[in-house]
Amino acid sequence: MRALVIDDSRATRAILSRILQQVGFATFDVADGQLALTWLADNGPVDLALVDWNMPILDGLSFIKIVRANPAYADMRLLMVTTESDIERMIMALEAGADEYAMKPFTASVIREKVDILGIKLPDTPVAGGVV
Amino acid sequence: MTTTTIDLQQIGAEIWAAILGLDLQPADAVAQHDSDVVVVTGVVQITGDWAGAVTVQVSEGLARTATALMFGSDPADVTEEEITDTVGELANMTGGNVKSLLAGNCQLSLPSVTTGRDYQVHISGAEVVERATACCDGELVVMTMLERRH
Ligand SMILES: [Mg+2]
Repeated sequence: MRALVIDDSRATRAILSRILQQVGFATFDVADGQLALTWLADNGPVDLALVDWNMPILDGLSFIKIVRANPAYADMRLLMVTTESDIERMIMALEAGADEYAMKPFTASVIREKVDILGIKLPDTPVAGGVV
Repeated sequence: MTTTTIDLQQIGAEIWAAILGLDLQPADAVAQHDSDVVVVTGVVQITGDWAGAVTVQVSEGLARTATALMFGSDPADVTEEEITDTVGELANMTGGNVKSLLAGNCQLSLPSVTTGRDYQVHISGAEVVERATACCDGELVVMTMLERRH
């Protein structure tokens, strides 16, 4: 299972990547929506994308609209992870095609719960930090 | 527009607990960083029906601790760029949570970060309307809300 973490904060990308790796994802990360589109064009769709809202160049909402307009990415689950916590914004994101919405600050258990809700089937044994 | 219901101390405590696993305790309200301490300040601006800014200020030492927790690395190994990123994101989360409590339609800017000794953050046309001080690991965290008066 592959996940792409999209956030302009490298610190937040690091935390989210660790949480996803602990439940068995191979993770990749980029700093804005435009870089994410380039990454997807080069590497193909991922099973899950975690998408920040406020980013330079191309924000998360615009990224979600572009992804949802492309049938090649139809199976990708999109989880918005953002400090934008007003209900109007949440509705806007879900209408644009986000599958789930998590607010910053998040905890590891909230992110795991959201991944669960998205129904992504993970391997039984979590991959532990690359140690063989 | 009144902003009296916003509890910066509580917002900060929730963010620091969830993201860093650190406990923020209320500190002496008038406390400020000593002039010889290197202070890192994260600022996000809010525009729209409420206009102003939210700032988060920490000593370079506490910023380093927070950064190491975010990156899962050793405090001695974190870079300036990582510290800037971390304090910017803490300001972003604080500002975002403040914004959600404001009435009307507002937009949040991307964060900016300043580091140095003995300086004041000045936002043109804005004055401090809320200030919270907290203590974390014996170090001071100062959070402010500045409102722009038209
Ligand atoms: Mg962001």
